[in-house]
Amino acid sequence: FHFFPPVEQFWHPKRPISHEQSSTTRGHFSASWAHEAPSPKPENAVTIAVSTRVLFRTEREQKVFERHGVEEYLRYQIQHENEPFAPGPAFPFVKALEAVNSRLRQLYPQSEELFDIVLVTYNHAHVGIRLINTINHHNLFIERFCMTGGSSPIGYLAAWHTDLYLSADAQKVREALAEGIAVATVFMPEKQTEVSESQLRVAFDGDAVLFSDESERIFKAHGLDKFFEHERQNEDTLLDHGPLKGFLEALGKLQKKFYAKGQRLDCPIRTYLVTARSAASSGLRALKTLRAWGLEIDEALFLAGAPKGPMLEKIRPHIYFDDQMFHVEGAAEMGTIAAHVPYGVAQKRQAGK
Amino acid sequence: MVKMSVDPAKAKDLQICASSNGEKGDSWEETDELQEDRPGLAAAPKQPKPENAVTIAVSTRVLFRTEREQKVFERHGVEEYLRYQIQHENEPFAPGPAFPFVKALEAVNSRLRQLYPQSEELFDIVLVTYNHAHVGIRLINTINHHNLFIERFCMTGGSSPIGYLAAWHTDLYLSADAQKVREALAEGIAVATVFMPEKQTEVSESQLRVAFDGDAVLFSDESERIFKAHGLDKFFEHERQNEDTLLDHGPLKGFLEALGKLQKKFYAKGQRLDCPIRTYLVTARSAASSGLRALKTLRAWGLEIDEALFLAGAPKGPMLEKIRPHIYFDDQMFHVEGAAEMGTIAAHVPYGVAQKRQAGK
Repeated sequence: FHFFPPVEQFWHPKRPISHEQSSTTRGHFSASWAHEAPSPKPENAVTIAVSTRVLFRTEREQKVFERHGVEEYLRYQIQHENEPFAPGPAFPFVKALEAVNSRLRQLYPQSEELFDIVLVTYNHAHVGIRLINTINHHNLFIERFCMTGGSSPIGYLAAWHTDLYLSADAQKVREALAEGIAVATVFMPEKQTEVSESQLRVAFDGDAVLFSDESERIFKAHGLDKFFEHERQNEDTLLDHGPLKGFLEALGKLQKKFYAKGQRLDCPIRTYLVTARSAASSGLRALKTLRAWGLEIDEALFLAGAPKGPMLEKIRPHIYFDDQMFHVEGAAEMGTIAAHVPYGVAQKRQAGK
Repeated sequence: MVKMSVDPAKAKDLQICASSNGEKGDSWEETDELQEDRPGLAAAPKQPKPENAVTIAVSTRVLFRTEREQKVFERHGVEEYLRYQIQHENEPFAPGPAFPFVKALEAVNSRLRQLYPQSEELFDIVLVTYNHAHVGIRLINTINHHNLFIERFCMTGGSSPIGYLAAWHTDLYLSADAQKVREALAEGIAVATVFMPEKQTEVSESQLRVAFDGDAVLFSDESERIFKAHGLDKFFEHERQNEDTLLDHGPLKGFLEALGKLQKKFYAKGQRLDCPIRTYLVTARSAASSGLRALKTLRAWGLEIDEALFLAGAPKGPMLEKIRPHIYFDDQMFHVEGAAEMGTIAAHVPYGVAQKRQAGK
């Protein structure tokens, strides 16, 4: 059993060590750091767990670990402790979460319904210093760490009430998915594209991401016509939910807080459905299901098989979730930050490759 | 209920070549391995890859009649508007000015599929709308009610759709909103604002008819500038002197080119006389004094036009009334309004020197 001391005990150059950050003192913070609000209770917040390998660029360190083992790796990290890591693929996403938090705090200063970012890593505590230095260098607000020193972090994810876990490791992602956690493997885009610094944009595939893979199963087993027929016959039957339905729901909840203050047109969260479904032949079931779940999606693109890459290039999401590596790779080629959700019938075939 | 056209000539295997961005586009799944799983896709026409097709983007406000809903939005705001739409979800919209045009595109597609079952060189219609996904259900119900084949949607929930138009390889964008049309034009997209004709006229269900003005629509506005700056005589003189200099292209030249490419597919199968696409030039130019330049330019571009009317200033309305085009493109609101008065479905291309004058009105 690993027990790690609370993060407050790491020396933090930005503020003094204090216990006022504990969860029992909700809303109670002194004027000396009034510009920094306390971290919300995990069950109130939308908790996003990110691994170091997607938040930062750690390829060089990974190589040291793979070639020379853990001792050399730790030595290397400690040696380079004062050199901040460069931003990784999930970095813009986390920055955008913080931008949303700023807006939320302006409107609802007392509320704990915010994004909460937890750094979850297999790394040993030795690396914590370099990580904290990096976080401060980039002006990130990540106060919650889970450094497991080699053990699986999956068990902690539920304890953190994790609403989304982003990792670079496909194996860990599959384990987390099996535990019912919303999770995806994030890939580095192949070219740099600018994303918004003020509006969080999250794009989702439909089947096997927001919805279950039931319709994809029909398509793969029986072809397109049977798929259309099945969808039409079941137009009024809701689709079952997929692994990221809960995350869309969490985003919607925060969006409504902006709408309630008349800021629908200026909302700093925007969601996109980018599906290969055909609108007239199979779109009704998807739209009716979203509505029955009380979920709104801001923009819906029914592509009927057209390539997703060019659309995503226009959207510039901070992250795009798809269950098929084909689409994830295609998106990354065109500069989109794409994440693979290894769920459903599409995976068996790819496992066989 | 989507009507599946039965196409006996359609083969069962779907070998699609990889497109330039590395993606193999197919109806649902792109990987070749998938085809082993599928016993056969017999009847449903597959959607073409956007770069192969002639992509027509239409907004909901020109495809359907949405005036009542527009009023709700303008008077009571977006929340009430969405409520209204959801309430009336099972009531299909009535056809709008671009509806016959879209129906005619589908008629051409049927003929093309009969002749070229494997080809993706077809019309592809994308519904592009500012509407929120909530309205999608009513739109899909309407599309199925009218037996349209519109499988591609772009519902932007309030954002500008202009950015998506290039991603869809849009060959023509029809909208009701003059502002959006101007933005799209500035991005180099062939676009026009479609107006409701003031009286009902019947148009062909089997032959797509598209009529174009010449200057500032197919051609650039360079000659119109001369005319407006220096008058008719100088214009004639300039045109004669420059008889052998090609005119520069206008915003809809590319669309005429796309139509011509599809027409040639019918000619190649010996169906020139029965071609389901027919194009018309309806220009105020005078034939002897300024017609050569226009015709020589079209020929140099390799573009055919089926019928050419040089009106030398005669009113266009009665001519268009005889032609009964599914759509007529002109850069001058004066002509667009005149055509609409006489029952022609007219669309305004806000390009060139004619616009400054109208902006000043």
